Formats: sequence, structure tokens, C-alpha cells
Amino acid sequence: MIEIDWVAFLRVAGAALAGAMLVVGFYAVGLRMLVRAGRAPVVAPAEFTDAITVISEKEARKAAKAAAKAAKKSPLTEGQKRLALLAAYGSFALCAAAVVAGLVLIIAK
Amino acid sequence: METAALIVVLVIALALFFDFTNGFHDTANAMATPIATGALKPKVAVMLAAVLNLVGAFLSTEVSQTISHGIINEKEITGLSFLPIIFAGLIGAITWNMLTWLLGLPSSSSHALFGGLIGATLVGASAAAINFGAVLSKVVLPALIAPFTAGVIAFAATRLAYAITRRYDNKPDGRDGFRWGQIFTSSLVALAHGTNDAQKTMGVITLALIAVGWQSSAQADPHLWVIIACALAIALGTYMGGWRIIRTLGKGLTDVKPAQGFSAETSTAATILASSAFGFALSTTQVASGSVIGSGLGRRGSTVRWRTVGRITIGWVLTLPASAAVGAFAALLVVWFGNWGILLDAILAVAIIVALFLRSRRSAVDAANAMSEVADSGLAVKVPRKAPPTRRRRALLREEAQQKAADASRATDRKDAQR
Repeated sequence: MIEIDWVAFLRVAGAALAGAMLVVGFYAVGLRMLVRAGRAPVVAPAEFTDAITVISEKEARKAAKAAAKAAKKSPLTEGQKRLALLAAYGSFALCAAAVVAGLVLIIAK
Repeated sequence: METAALIVVLVIALALFFDFTNGFHDTANAMATPIATGALKPKVAVMLAAVLNLVGAFLSTEVSQTISHGIINEKEITGLSFLPIIFAGLIGAITWNMLTWLLGLPSSSSHALFGGLIGATLVGASAAAINFGAVLSKVVLPALIAPFTAGVIAFAATRLAYAITRRYDNKPDGRDGFRWGQIFTSSLVALAHGTNDAQKTMGVITLALIAVGWQSSAQADPHLWVIIACALAIALGTYMGGWRIIRTLGKGLTDVKPAQGFSAETSTAATILASSAFGFALSTTQVASGSVIGSGLGRRGSTVRWRTVGRITIGWVLTLPASAAVGAFAALLVVWFGNWGILLDAILAVAIIVALFLRSRRSAVDAANAMSEVADSGLAVKVPRKAPPTRRRRALLREEAQQKAADASRATDRKDAQR
């Protein structure tokens, strides 16, 4: 009689889902907070090749201008912006902590 | 004993070559999406993938133990007779891998290895020598479940990433920042690849060492020199394979947005790392492909191209039995001709490797034969260039239209009243 540990599959799926959601969630919240703090990241591709259909050099420049314009028009006070920036860094730190915790759990097993 | 030592050396050489081809083939699994979105310069991406594969190989030995102490019942096989079987299994795996690579068919290096070993053991020993429970629970079921799980996770993660960063005022949403994140998530995928794929070869070499009596079967962990050799082989393969990707850059990659790539890579890394911790020997290619499809579906308005999905799936399903058949044939030569059969197998292996080398020199490198199936998987999902509006955006547009209509009617009423 072949015994299959179905619980192990559920644990793998659960751990992977929880890990991925935490990492993506914290990182996305961090970006949202950066935007709120008036520092919307505009990251041009490291190298513009034919493969990158996502953004061209011209589009990257346009996006940088739009981000600077939006930051100027932000209705938030300086204090609120600083708080948002702090929340953004905190969120990125939690994202990194989730990755490190996952790796430590695997290595320790 | 001298013959046994010679076969062990052959098995180790062949296993390390298999490890090299595995890295060579799978560089794109980790690095196709960051290169596509421009998160990393191709040269940096390849170097990073090689280094992290090397590091990943040292992190866990669970998968190696599944191979060396799981799928084969060593007790059912007399020590020295088992060596030619492992050798034949490797021949089966390499042959099928090379054949699918040359023909451009989707395949999995890991399943080719399992198939080859199982086929060779069935013919060279007996069905009792295979632990079907372990094969089913640690190889077959994870192969079926993992790509689907990764796809579902990638779908949910992509939706989450877009939902959190969505803005309705047309101001910058900061999603470009996912390009930074991709540097880390693609690194995680490379690390995860090292924890799962390098282990498979370690398992095979450990199995050979146990068979010849150079390692106690009670010792589950591979020797340190085995870990180092396998880690170096997969890292070297990854590095060498990467140059082909750089040369072919610009063709064959699908439109991958940074948020989508970030989610897909996180899902791939999470699934592989969690599976490695439980000793599930996955196909990293299949998991990465599932994630790319899932994250594509996570983008609004996307639809599945079922024909492409079907083609990829058939390739995956075929790998295990086909490589088992080749492994069984190689084992049959050993059963029929004894040591001459081993020599015949060795000649076969060298002929395949040389043929592959000559063929790869002759044929032009293009997207069809250098990119992995992961890039192909992106084609399984059709994403419109302009995504349809969200429910909230539709409601806003409706509200705006109603407001405009009301304003227009008020203006008309005023004009009528003035007249």
C-alpha cells in the first residue's frame, strides 16, 4: 500500500503562498508609501535592448518628469511625507526580513 | 574491483556533465524575466545566477537524500551490479535531454534524470528495487502539483501587487520600483535552483558511492567533495549557458511588466525553496513556467492560449516515460552484453555529447533553441497592450459620464430659459 503524505503538499503550498504574499505585499506597500512620500521611483532599465518592450528611453524620461511634477503637487505636509517615507522603509525591511526568515527556516531544517 | 572503480569514475563524470547541462539549460529560468524587464544587465544577471547557484547547492541536502535514499531500494540490489544501472540511467537522462534540446521540445532535466534511473532499474534489477511510494509522493505528484501551485500563487501575487499600487488619478504609481525588487527575486530563484537541481546530481553520485561501498548507506548526507563538485558544475553550466542568452537577447521574449516579473519570480522561489525543504525533487523549469503563466493571467484582460499550454504540457508528460525508455534500453545493453554493454553505453554517451557539441556549433543561436521553455510559457497567455478598466475605474467613468450628461442638460435648460 503506497502511503502519500498529502499534508506535506498542503504545507509546501501554504508556506509558498504565505511567503510569496508577504514578500510581494510588503514590497508593494513600500512602493505605495514611497509614492505617497512624493518619491515615486522611476527606474529606467539597466540596459535598453530590443527585448525590452516595456519602456523606451523616451518613455523613461517622460515618466521621471511626471513623477517630479506629481511630487511637487502633493497635498501632504512635510511631516506626513516623512511618516510615509518611514513607513516605506519599514515595509521594505519587513519584506527583507520575510525572505531571510524563510531562508533560515530552510537551512535550519 | 578495478572495473567497479572505473565505472564509479565514469558515473561521476557523467553525473557532473549532466549537472553542467542542467545549469546551462536553466540559466534562463532565473534570469529571463529580469533581463526582459531591464532589471539587470545581461552580463550581471548571468554572473549573479552562477554565483547564487553555487551558494544554493550548499544550503540543503533534503533533495539529495530523496534521490540517494528514497526512490531506489538499495537493499534489493547487490552493490556492484547497481553501478551499471546508475550509469545506464544517466545515459538515458542525458540522451533524452540532448534530443529534446536539439529538437526544441519542452522537457525537464530533473524528470529526465528520474525517468532514466527508474527505467534502467526496472530492466537492470527488478520492479521491487523501485520504491514506488517515494517515486509517486516525491517525484510524480510534486511534478503535477507544483507548477499549478506556483501558477496560482503567481496569479494571486500579481493581483496583489497591482491592487496595492493601483492609482485612479493617473499620477505615477511607482510600479517601476518593482524593477529594483526583481534584482533580489531573480537572485532568490537562482539560489532556489541551486538548492533543488544541484542536489539531484549529488544524490546520484552518493548512490554510486554507496553501491561500491565507499560510503555507508546509513550516512544520508553527501560527502563534502561531492557537494563542492556538483555546486561548481552547475555554476559553471549556468555561467556558460548565460552567454547564449546574451547573444540571443532581443528575440523571443514576451512583454513582461516589472510588477508581473517580480510576482512570478517570488512565486517560483517560494515554491522551490519550500519544496526543497521537504525533499520534493521538482522540475524548476516547470515551476518557473507555471509562475510565468499565472502572473500573465494576473494581468487584467489576459486570456490563455490553450494550444500553447497543451504543447508545453505534452512535452512535460512525455519526459518521464521517454527518458525511462532510453534508460531501460541502455540497461538492456548491460544485461545482454555485461561489461561490453557498459562500454557500448559509454561510446553512446560520448557520441551523443560530441554530436551535440558539433550540432550546437553548426546551428545558429536564436531564440528558438537558446531560450528556455519559461520564455515560451509567456506565449501561453495573451495579454492586451491596453488593459481593460477595473470595476472601480468603470464606476468612475460611468459617474463622470453621468455628470457630463447632467451638466449638458442643465446648460440646455439654461439656454432654453434665456430664450
